[in-house]
Amino acid sequence: MFKKISVVFAFVMVLSLFLAACGQKNVDCTQEDVLCVGLVTDVGEVDDKSFNQSAWEGVQKAADELGAHVEYIETKDAKDYGTNIGLFAEKGYDVIVTVGFGLGDATREAAATHPDIDFIGVDQFQADTVANVAGLMFPEWKAGFQAGALAGMLTETKLLAGVYGTDLAPAVVAFAEGYEDGARYIDPAIEVITTYHPGGFASGFTDPEWGGATSKQAIEQGADVIFAAGGKTGNGGLIETANYPGVFCIGVDTDQWETVPEAHSCLVSSAMKLIVPGVFDLVKLSSEGAFPAGNYFGTVGLAPFHDFDSSISQEIKDKLAEIEAGLLDDTIKYEDFR
Amino acid sequence: MASEPETKKTDFWRALWRSIGVPLGAIVLALLIGAVILLISGANPLLAYSALFQGAFGGASQISRTLEKATPLIFNGLAISLAFKAGMFNIGAQGQLVFGAIIAAFIGFAVKGLPWFVHAPLALICGAIAGALYGSIPGMLKAFTGASEVITTIMLNYVALNMTDWLVGGPWQDKTTEILLPRTPEILETARLDQGRLITSGLIFVILSLYLALMVYLFVKSHKKIRMAGKTTREFFTANLGSLLVALIPVILVGLYLLDLLQVGFLIAVGGAFFIWWLLERTTLGFEIRTVGANSNAARYAGINVALIMILTMVISGLLAGLGGAVETTGVDGRFEPAFNVGLGFDGITISLLGKTHPLGNIPAAILIGSMKAGSNTMQFEAGVPKEIVDVVQALMLFFVAADMIVRYVLRIKGKEEKVSLTSGWGQH
Repeated sequence: MFKKISVVFAFVMVLSLFLAACGQKNVDCTQEDVLCVGLVTDVGEVDDKSFNQSAWEGVQKAADELGAHVEYIETKDAKDYGTNIGLFAEKGYDVIVTVGFGLGDATREAAATHPDIDFIGVDQFQADTVANVAGLMFPEWKAGFQAGALAGMLTETKLLAGVYGTDLAPAVVAFAEGYEDGARYIDPAIEVITTYHPGGFASGFTDPEWGGATSKQAIEQGADVIFAAGGKTGNGGLIETANYPGVFCIGVDTDQWETVPEAHSCLVSSAMKLIVPGVFDLVKLSSEGAFPAGNYFGTVGLAPFHDFDSSISQEIKDKLAEIEAGLLDDTIKYEDFR
Repeated sequence: MASEPETKKTDFWRALWRSIGVPLGAIVLALLIGAVILLISGANPLLAYSALFQGAFGGASQISRTLEKATPLIFNGLAISLAFKAGMFNIGAQGQLVFGAIIAAFIGFAVKGLPWFVHAPLALICGAIAGALYGSIPGMLKAFTGASEVITTIMLNYVALNMTDWLVGGPWQDKTTEILLPRTPEILETARLDQGRLITSGLIFVILSLYLALMVYLFVKSHKKIRMAGKTTREFFTANLGSLLVALIPVILVGLYLLDLLQVGFLIAVGGAFFIWWLLERTTLGFEIRTVGANSNAARYAGINVALIMILTMVISGLLAGLGGAVETTGVDGRFEPAFNVGLGFDGITISLLGKTHPLGNIPAAILIGSMKAGSNTMQFEAGVPKEIVDVVQALMLFFVAADMIVRYVLRIKGKEEKVSLTSGWGQH
């Protein structure tokens, strides 16, 4: 047995050496003409079908269109944000994208020590402006509002439901409020069941079972459009809703038609934050030397209706376009509903 | 002292091999299988492991980060090991830890005007007490109602989670920033553990000198005895190699501290490990804890107050976990945030098993897992290996420690070693 193990061990070593010889890629990011873009995720994964993934797609777009060298690090422990950003900074990366408000402090600290690197903080509100930090923000309320308006025009029971991650996250609350306001904008008689995950940040976004159970409960109470916003928790809500014919579901952040195929039978649209173009634009601006410091507001919008496109009347589509325009020029605004 | 130095010497190495052979074998096997997985996934194991090592021990800041990561693991490993000794499975270390962490943060930001040598210890003590109180709940439930501590501690973890979430989103929230994040304000400078490094160094230097003097005195004394018994100096040293090495550990640690490679928290953790070892092996209470763990009925028959011992064990266990959380807050984080400390209490179970529930075994186990945590991002960055491979290797290690027959068979380690009391308590009643 011992011999066999040794043989396997030797085999592994030889193969590794072989791989080491051919698998090296070396890019010198300190060189002036090489654009290097690094991305640090929050404690989620880079393929989380949400923020991290969209931001990474934006970075990859920069690789395709600007010829940038791109790399990412997935963070395992929230205490490592600074270290991970530092790994890129020490290699002379030109732009570092950090995803999620949890990295806000670490990003600003790193920005202070590395003034020649541009930092893009996705979902990081900038209370005051640091010259080399741009916070990519999205008006979640407007995205939720459009989802709510769509839901308000689709519902027959006049009862909607929202299944959310933790209400400790301001963005989640903004989505929920927008959804309620949008529905009531269509018809003040519409009722909305709003449920937040009780697990806080520790489990609020990673609990698909809870999302599913909560959606089921709402549907049994008569809700016929479910808005699910909250990472994996929300995805669980979408997938559960797909089991009920005639009940619609609306996804969040990205076009979840692409990311949650299990929910195709109910997913009418998604309240999207257009993170991919947002990140790409900021990288591009940085490479052109026109980096905008402070808060940079990206755009939001409803995802395409995909299979439901034919079943949604032109009347609804026109109304949605009207609302989108109203949100853009601020004729519909948050304060009017408070 | 040593009547037959030669056999003593081989006995020492054999005993050492018997006690650490299985964990060592488990580590090697896990790394090997990890390498095979890396190969299959198209990565280069040598590159990956060397990057992992680089990230963990490649320089002063890396070593310091590894030890920083190991610190809370030692505390939690100890907490769980101690409970194991009494036949209890404290899965609630996580809850006790976050309570310790948040209370330490509260003392750190809310109590003002204290000098650092009062403020920092106060934060630690209050954190430890919070953990102890929280640990006493499952202890009392078990002692008085027989409720399984496995169930109650798991449920109390959720209570702790939601309580702390509520505190950081409500009464103890940081209101200084424009966007309200769910976290406490930063603790004051005076509550930070790395305060007054110079004075602490001086204090440690004095204690170390006294310690060295004591050690030299003890060695000279026993050496004299040996000489009178007609043995040579060489025989004396070979016979006492083990204790010599152990006596050197504090000296090495203080050296590392003075070189700025480790934090006070790590010293406290190691001190805690030695204290728990002493408590278990050299005191009546420790004997009673072990007796309850071995057979609670026999313990009761022998006149031991089993209920009291169970509660006390859980109190000390919770105290250790809470202290671990408090050290994290005051030494590393500087504030309480729900995203911090996730899973540390559960890692403690890994540490405890890898260390074979021996208090001192927790230290190398924690450094090992700490180094993997510290090095995993460098591995990701340099070798392009997904961070999950570290979890896979850790899980394999645990698997091989638990299924020690496999390792024994491969490495030909003779069986019949000291039995690890993992399940003697729960599941029997």
